[in-house]
Amino acid sequence: MNQKTNSTIIVNQGDSLPTVVRQVTQRDINLYAEASGDFNPIHIDEAFAAKTPLGGTIAHGMLILTYASEMMTKAFGKSWLSGGKLAVRFKTPARPKDTITVKGKVESVQVKENSTLVTCSLEVSNQRGETVISGEASVQL
Amino acid sequence: MQNRESNSLIGFEQLAVGYEFPSTSYQLSPQLISKYTEAVGAQSEEKSPVAGFVPPLAIAAYIMTAMTKTVSLPPGTIHASQELEFLKPVPIGTTISCTSKVAQKVQRGKLNLLMIQLEALDQDKGKVLSGKATLVLPAL
Repeated sequence: MNQKTNSTIIVNQGDSLPTVVRQVTQRDINLYAEASGDFNPIHIDEAFAAKTPLGGTIAHGMLILTYASEMMTKAFGKSWLSGGKLAVRFKTPARPKDTITVKGKVESVQVKENSTLVTCSLEVSNQRGETVISGEASVQL
Repeated sequence: MQNRESNSLIGFEQLAVGYEFPSTSYQLSPQLISKYTEAVGAQSEEKSPVAGFVPPLAIAAYIMTAMTKTVSLPPGTIHASQELEFLKPVPIGTTISCTSKVAQKVQRGKLNLLMIQLEALDQDKGKVLSGKATLVLPAL
């Protein structure tokens, strides 16, 4: 049985994780720059960014990655904070006004002696169906 | 947020494998974390399943920012990939120390790959986060 019960968490291979949907705004990006201290003009200076090959500002990759982390927190709670791992690639920049959807699926559940390792695939995409971030996350229950 | 180190920039060409970026400490105060959670649109404290703890991506963001503030990276630098491991929950109010060092530096055609190893310790010297970031830079 590929199943793990950890008081409130029941996980099976093939389960979908709670989807997270967010709209990116320039305000979010500016707030993130303030909060993280990353003031790279490609994120916050629309006039500068318009002259680059990207043609406009883009969100910080780490901002978009927080939406994936939020999904893992919703799915696994505090276990995500102590034993969570992720490995991702940033594929396409997210831009202001993009609608970002984070989906995840349980790919494997490995029961060990003292814990269970749950490995999930992650897919972060925009409203055009382009992959923004892809990768894998795992958590010990 | 507290940056205790110098703001002088090191050039990309000066970076060598093993180079350690200046360590930076952050006091993860309620105000600092509140600013972060507002920016990322996270759930309010009362509703969060991990209330009272620092969002793990916030720590990763602070390490990355501390690192990039000390190095001059050329325009066109891309954050290509990220690996992170969260080792223990970090209560809001904790002071963390962030370190990063060059793990790999490779030129491939017209691009440079820079892999940075990241680590954060709490005030008891317990490791709370480790990871690797890969940056792709245009060759100079």
